[in-house]
Amino acid sequence: MKIAVCIKRVPEMDVNFKIAASGKGVDEAGLKWDMSDFDGYAVEAALQLTEKLGAGEVHVISLGGDVVQETLRKALSMGAAKAVQLKCDAVPYDAFAIAAALAAELKAGGYDLIMFGKMSIDGANGVTQFVVAELLGLPLVHACSKLEIAGGKGTARREIEGGGELVAFPLPAVVSIDEGIARPRYPSLKGIMAAKKKPLEVRPAQLGEVRLTVEKMELPPARAAGRIIGEGAGAVPELVKLLQTEAKVL
Amino acid sequence: MSHVAFALVLALALGFFSYNAQRLVRYLRIGHDENRLNDIPRRAWNLLRIGIAQTKILRDPLAGPVHALVFWGFLVLQVGALEIIAQGLIPGFTYAKILPGPLYWLFLASQELTAAAVLAAVALLLYRRIVVKPRRLQGDGVHSGDAIFILSLIGALMVTLLVTSATDRALGVDHPAAVQPLSAALAQLFASVPHGAVQAIHHVSWWLHALLILTFLNYLPYSKHLHVIVSLPNTFLSNTSGPGTVGAMKKMDLEQETEVFGAADVTHLSWKNLLDGYSCTECGRCTSVCPANITGKALSPRKIVVNTRQRLLEVAPAIVGGDDVFGMPFIGAARGDAESRAALLDHKLLDNFITEEELWSCTSCRACVYECPVSIDQLEIINEMRRNLVLTESRFPEEVQPAFESLERNGSPWAFQPSERAQWAEGMDIPTMAELWERGERPDILFWVGCMGSFDDRAKKTTVAFARILQAAGIKFAILGQEETCNGDPARRMGNEYLYQMLAQQAIETLNRYEVFTIVTSCPHCFHQIGNEFPQFGGNYEVIHHSTYIERLLADGMVPLKHETGEKLVMAYHDSCYLGRYNDVYDAPREALKRALPVVQLVEAPRSRDKGLCCGAGGGRMWMEERVGQRINVERKKELLATGAEAVAVACPFCMTMLNDAGMKLESTVPVYDIAEVVAARIEARSGDGEARPSEGRSEAGE
Ligand code: SF4
Ligand code: SF4
Repeated sequence: MKIAVCIKRVPEMDVNFKIAASGKGVDEAGLKWDMSDFDGYAVEAALQLTEKLGAGEVHVISLGGDVVQETLRKALSMGAAKAVQLKCDAVPYDAFAIAAALAAELKAGGYDLIMFGKMSIDGANGVTQFVVAELLGLPLVHACSKLEIAGGKGTARREIEGGGELVAFPLPAVVSIDEGIARPRYPSLKGIMAAKKKPLEVRPAQLGEVRLTVEKMELPPARAAGRIIGEGAGAVPELVKLLQTEAKVL
Repeated sequence: MSHVAFALVLALALGFFSYNAQRLVRYLRIGHDENRLNDIPRRAWNLLRIGIAQTKILRDPLAGPVHALVFWGFLVLQVGALEIIAQGLIPGFTYAKILPGPLYWLFLASQELTAAAVLAAVALLLYRRIVVKPRRLQGDGVHSGDAIFILSLIGALMVTLLVTSATDRALGVDHPAAVQPLSAALAQLFASVPHGAVQAIHHVSWWLHALLILTFLNYLPYSKHLHVIVSLPNTFLSNTSGPGTVGAMKKMDLEQETEVFGAADVTHLSWKNLLDGYSCTECGRCTSVCPANITGKALSPRKIVVNTRQRLLEVAPAIVGGDDVFGMPFIGAARGDAESRAALLDHKLLDNFITEEELWSCTSCRACVYECPVSIDQLEIINEMRRNLVLTESRFPEEVQPAFESLERNGSPWAFQPSERAQWAEGMDIPTMAELWERGERPDILFWVGCMGSFDDRAKKTTVAFARILQAAGIKFAILGQEETCNGDPARRMGNEYLYQMLAQQAIETLNRYEVFTIVTSCPHCFHQIGNEFPQFGGNYEVIHHSTYIERLLADGMVPLKHETGEKLVMAYHDSCYLGRYNDVYDAPREALKRALPVVQLVEAPRSRDKGLCCGAGGGRMWMEERVGQRINVERKKELLATGAEAVAVACPFCMTMLNDAGMKLESTVPVYDIAEVVAARIEARSGDGEARPSEGRSEAGE
């Protein structure tokens, strides 16, 4: 069982972002970076699969500059066996361009299962895995909340509106992972030390044509501060009036 | 003839004893190396104070003096035992031949009186073991039978000693009756007994006494009474008492090539941890003061130590080779003769003897270490095993992971942004180090705020109060603001030494960049960590806890206080472990309170100062759920409320939170104040200052 997990390095989301001077992205100064949450679930799910099967290994792949090596090392310290950096100076916004590079790498890898997080938590497009599956001609199961592999076949559960969906698929396949499947393990020091000795291969990314770019990025308008109309029963008529005319909720 | 027989018996006994002694030393060596011969003067002082003067034993007002008596008696009687041995080897020897009369009489009197006293003590202790059965002497595989046997042996030693000297007198040896009052009285009983019979009794009694001494000696290695031999060396070799060594966790070398970090088994502990196992007297003092144990958790520090010994004796023979003589394991060792060597090696201390749950229950309050009469460090074993759980196995309570991750990402155990760190200081005109540095200025002190003091709403009030005091006193101080990061204490206490070292190094870098010399902090955990543990990484600063600092400012009259007299507030001060037992700061907070409220009436909870009960938050427990038993903070709060206090004073943001939470659970309206708040409320009001006074803020409790 050979599993590839494609992971992305993303900024911590719970900060007040600033728009960069270019107006086409966020100001990266002072941001903290880590593996995208859904990708973390995918790595954990992959590790648990190989542990359960008692065989196979997990490889992790990430696209980007040398900074992504940190993210790859984290996956290695969690237990992945090998990491590949598809090196490019700037990660394009276009999922197709990225998917082409990933597909080129994955094609040669001979993987039984290719896993993604259901989307990156920064771009939140959730598209890459579809394009990769298409390029490789493999079946895709999107947003799995449970995943089992037995006898060369996979079964997965997907959460859908008001219920669940159980699907079966042949291997090899592409799956993307939703939260709730497994909480990513905290790497032990033993894992971190072991990760230092694991292979991390660097290859130039064979990006596809970039057809989608960000033109302008803006922050949502700041919310207006609350207003005090008055106090006690006397303020009610004014409040009702404002709710009708300004907030238009009545 | 009988001298030849005695010489033979003696040689046999000593031979067997030395065999056992060597065996036990060989077992110790499966632990790893550690230098415990540094700082000899401190060690010698501990030996005198704790070992010989028995200061720790005497902390228990009942059993303490009785046991101390047995110990001192034991020392005195050794002089007599030597005489007996010499007598056995040299026909007709007595000290009388080498000592001048009066000195010899003194010797006789000492033996006689000691024997009587020890006999009485033994009777008391037996009564306690058999009839009273105090709680702390039960449970955790305590060997009561063993204790009763040893007590009986000591009793028999005393009886034979007295009978021997009484028959001596009856046979005509003539010392003044005044130096042997008991024997003299006993001798009267033999007056009517035929000479030959008395001689026979004398002979038998002497032999019995001599043989009992040798039996006692050889029984020790098979009993918890091994402490008779090892407790003094253990006290000498211990790091549990003395400035600079108290409570500082060992630095780990993270670069070493190893499969196992921390301790999963006895082979990963140091020889000294293993010697602790030999030294344990199973007295249960540690367990009886353990907040986790008191409130019904699985943790018992005694069990930790006894388990360490049990596991050592189980596995060591398989490692060093050679079996226990006659298949007689040391008391407490599992009787695993049938088990194969492989099965023994397969076992380990972690999981097979000590569970995860026990290890995570510890609040690192140090009460156990403080109480142990033979200077055992239970906490070090717990800490080493926690390190194993985290660093090697990544096994810890679920709630801990977000704290680790947040420490890594945000430099704080809570998911707050560094940019929010100095929000409390807005509008207070407090410079950051960076600002001062830019202006080419230096502060007198750096106020290290700490994560809790920066982010927790309740603790922020303490932070503000302390800053006000500093301002009122005209102290030139600065904060690090955004640049402050957690010193790593929570990570280290939770076993994550890797994360800790990253954080500590980062903090030290920041401090060194600004050439910081003096640091004042209102958090005892920061205080302990920066002051006592940062030196391990080259961070050397003068660190003062805000209670001490405030007390000094008040003593120097530097804080302008309002002079009011009418108010009278009954207050109970709660000692925090990292201030008290870790750093010996007990008086400063109390003094600060008294000075701030000249008419304050300070009341003490039954458990206070070095006997204080933990609030339950230390050792990373702040980030873990308390699922089993009663809540430690509630127990503590009840105790504080029972003093009748109208307010509770603390000097730690963790204690503050815990006691406030407990207050809510108990629906108590008694407020909790930090000492800084009490003092700040008394600062001479500048115009327009509307500071709340402690007595007005009662409804604040439980915020
Ligand atoms: S340090 Fe405190 S909580 Fe931990 S075992 Fe000792 S007494 Fe119990
Ligand atoms: S560890 Fe110390 S205090 Fe605890 S039972 Fe043993 S000797 Fe007594």
